[in-house]
Amino acid sequence: MARAISTHRKALNTAIAWLIAAMIFFPILWTVLTSFKTEAQAIADPPLFFGFDWTLENYTTVQDRSNYFRHFWNSVVISVGSTLLGLALAVPAAWSMAFVPSKHTKNILMWMLSTKMLPPVGVLVPIYLIFRDWGLLDTQIGLVIVLTLINLPIIVWMLYTYFKEIPGEILEAARMDGASLKSEVLYVLLPMAVPGIASTMLLNIILAWNEAFWTLNLTAAKAAPLTAFIASYSSPEGLFYAKLSAASTMAIAPILIMGWFSQKQLVRGLTFGAVK
Amino acid sequence: MNKTIKTLLGATMLVATGTGAYAADTTLTIATVNNGDMIRMQGLTEDFTKANPGIALEWVTLEENVLRQRVTQDVATKGGQFDIMTIGTYEVPIWGKQGWLVSLNDLPKSYDVDDLLPAIRGGLTVDGELYAAPFYGESSMVMYRKDLMEKAGMEMPEAPSWHAIRRAAALMTDKDEGIYGICLRGKAGWGENMAFLTATANSFGARWFDEDWNPQFDSPEWKEALTFYIDMMNAYGPPGASSNGFNENLALFQQGKCGMWIDATVAASFVTNPDDSTVADKVGFALAPDNGLGKRGNWLWAWSLAIPAGTDDEDAAKKFVAWATSKDYLALVAENEGWANVPPGTRTSLYENEEYAKVPFAKMTLDSINSADPTAPTVDPVPYTGVQFVAIPEFQGIATAVGQQFSAALAGTTDVDTALANAQSLATREMKRGGYLK
Amino acid sequence: MATKASRTAARAMMSPSVILLLGWMLIPLALTLYFSFLRYNLLMPGGNPFVGLENYEYFFTDPAFQTAVVNTLLLVGGVLVVTVVGGILLALLLDQAMWGQGIVRILVIAPFFVMPTVSALVWKNMFMNPVNGLFAYLAQSVGLEPFDFLAHAPLASIIGIVSWQWLPFATLILLTALQSLDSEQLEAAEMDGAGPFARFRFMVLPHMARAITVVILIETIFLLSIFAEILVTTNGGPGNASTNLTYLIYAQSLLQFDVGLGSAGGVFAIILANIVAIFLMRMIGRNLDA
Repeated sequence: MARAISTHRKALNTAIAWLIAAMIFFPILWTVLTSFKTEAQAIADPPLFFGFDWTLENYTTVQDRSNYFRHFWNSVVISVGSTLLGLALAVPAAWSMAFVPSKHTKNILMWMLSTKMLPPVGVLVPIYLIFRDWGLLDTQIGLVIVLTLINLPIIVWMLYTYFKEIPGEILEAARMDGASLKSEVLYVLLPMAVPGIASTMLLNIILAWNEAFWTLNLTAAKAAPLTAFIASYSSPEGLFYAKLSAASTMAIAPILIMGWFSQKQLVRGLTFGAVK
Repeated sequence: MNKTIKTLLGATMLVATGTGAYAADTTLTIATVNNGDMIRMQGLTEDFTKANPGIALEWVTLEENVLRQRVTQDVATKGGQFDIMTIGTYEVPIWGKQGWLVSLNDLPKSYDVDDLLPAIRGGLTVDGELYAAPFYGESSMVMYRKDLMEKAGMEMPEAPSWHAIRRAAALMTDKDEGIYGICLRGKAGWGENMAFLTATANSFGARWFDEDWNPQFDSPEWKEALTFYIDMMNAYGPPGASSNGFNENLALFQQGKCGMWIDATVAASFVTNPDDSTVADKVGFALAPDNGLGKRGNWLWAWSLAIPAGTDDEDAAKKFVAWATSKDYLALVAENEGWANVPPGTRTSLYENEEYAKVPFAKMTLDSINSADPTAPTVDPVPYTGVQFVAIPEFQGIATAVGQQFSAALAGTTDVDTALANAQSLATREMKRGGYLK
Repeated sequence: MATKASRTAARAMMSPSVILLLGWMLIPLALTLYFSFLRYNLLMPGGNPFVGLENYEYFFTDPAFQTAVVNTLLLVGGVLVVTVVGGILLALLLDQAMWGQGIVRILVIAPFFVMPTVSALVWKNMFMNPVNGLFAYLAQSVGLEPFDFLAHAPLASIIGIVSWQWLPFATLILLTALQSLDSEQLEAAEMDGAGPFARFRFMVLPHMARAITVVILIETIFLLSIFAEILVTTNGGPGNASTNLTYLIYAQSLLQFDVGLGSAGGVFAIILANIVAIFLMRMIGRNLDA
């Protein structure tokens, strides 16, 4: 197992990997740094890396102008809500596909995925009219429903591939012992499926948090999440790099931090059945 | 440290106002554009809510393009998400005719509707009904760097010709120093490059349509106007001009990278504001250029507040609109932020105010607004109204597509002749589809 | 060995998802199809008369139509190539022994969490801007003219931005696949004198085939309807140089408010999506017979 690797070689690997990782991460770092500069420093020539007076001015300005906490809360409710609702729908569906497959299972799965390829702009007007008639415009529940539906195929598929890895013999054994369908799911299947479910949940929260078309078009003030918050900073008058950076940092920080802390769980189930 | 505390305090206060909103009888949802004057208004609304404790305000501040799409979609489908919308002189006549807006003819006498500048008021009135109240009005003019002009040994006339502008641009440009003689809009969009180019084309004697609605992009006047613009921008403009809109150019000018900038008169208060602008004390103003044909290349626009028909709170919405566009609001801004930051271009009384007359760009703004005539925008007669736009619903779509062509010509990915030929066929196609042409 | 009872139960468990998705697909689809036969412009209310195939005629003869189809495919293909090739290389690198692997992984994964709108805004303004962007500064500091990315290479720039967002996803999946490769087999091959390239070509790559398929499938689903990045950076321009189908339909239905025309475009996009879906299904059927 343990191959002898020279320290020399390891140092080289480390250097290359760190260099590339730093390059990939740099845009985010640069945004965060810029958010602590004044507008004039943000466009200074030559660019300032650390040698500037750190200021929280931009964050104050952004908070004065927009109710960050409300947008943040809407983002949390919408992404978590749609994920939970999606899981409630998808776990049974994926379970039955994985353990009681029929000859249509794969077609159904593919059809589900194909619904995700439809361009949302093409159906915005019909959906807007339906939402108007049902009183769902600018409501959290409306967005929860839409985001559940657009991410449901991914959830079902991810869970399906994960459930498939669970050996059927265990279920057979449980059934022999006289376990009912309910206890089969609750005590045998779920514990084994938890890592997959957790990972699906995390991925879906990320996707829902970053969804910027429906969330922007179906909300006004009450249910608008952070994607709408960003839309008010995208191209304002005058110098705006620092304020834009502050708003961007505020919009991505929660999900970035969540992603980092849970990356082990996220990665564990993020295989889509690709690993045999 | 102090700032942190301020942020936290701000946060708690916002939470407090958030809960306070539920105590109010009515909540008005206001859609507005993220321009400086509107953001200032957001900060001053306490004056309104104190006087009207039953009314709470919710703001939806969006970037211009997103805002326009959201409010149009909402008003046309009667979605009812907004009680007050910020729209411009292009939308008001079209929407007013459709019956989508509430008439503002019954605003209280103290509002003094006769005080509104006639050119602006005319643009917001359809068949005698005022459908929107102007929040700020603008034309376009030349803003230039006095120091660079002096260095170039030139003097800017008060009413320059295009020829003079080009010569000044040539003399001011110093690319090694990062100074570009002229900054103009190049970003595609009917409200971006096409606003500037349509107004400019007017001064070259070009027009969008002849009297029978035939598109005129195949005319020599358009070719002359577009060639002039692209040659000048290629020689003396900043790199990346084809993606510069109003905001990008403002940023460039504030950083001292532009010798001249021809754009909205409202920009004057931003470029002369020492907090944001590195060239605040060096800016001069002149009328938009002409070519001696009797029309100058300046436009007319007013960001205005309108109330969509069918809103639940018409009376409260009217109260707010009247407050935000009143004389008292102008005085309130002057008191808090100084006269230079008052929303310009809406009221005669503002320009009669002695304090305001001291603002360096006041007179030039008024002269520019007064010299624009939406009812006769071009040298040759046309069947439409509007200076930098054509007040028909099809215009947004056509002008955006044409704007893409002209933006590509500026970027150098296509040439002037191809761009104009494409524009002509695009416009003809859409006018046929709209039933204007057989 | 499923019994009849468990089959019924299975169907019952599947039906909520299937019915909801069917509704989510069919209702808008039916309305879109219906609108596509009407003269329906939001700005011109009226009877919305039936006009037959007129909208389709205008959509297919739109000067931007062909470019949009080509751009859609280039965008999807370009991002796939960059992320798959880049992902394989990065996965191979991250699989090596090194110090601080955890931190490297955290840094590499980060772009995946960034909102598309934010990443487009940041790249456009703070990196690609030819006056104030960092790239312009770098070019100038080595004595070059700053390159105007969004004007002269709009599609390539967008491919770059989107690839940056999706590279972490590809890397993670490919890395997981790589780590499941039996290292003893590799060592045995090494003993037998197989060079690093041969080992990669004949052992590692076949092992990763499934993972690569998955990456292609998932990314295609998201990339076909790329929109926010184009709206924020180039607005589809200059000219139509970066207009894809989604953006074209957006321009028609939400800039011109021509719902009829936009719906005709929507129907076409749906057909295109289904063609791609069938194509992918074939590919999956061969490679991912789970």
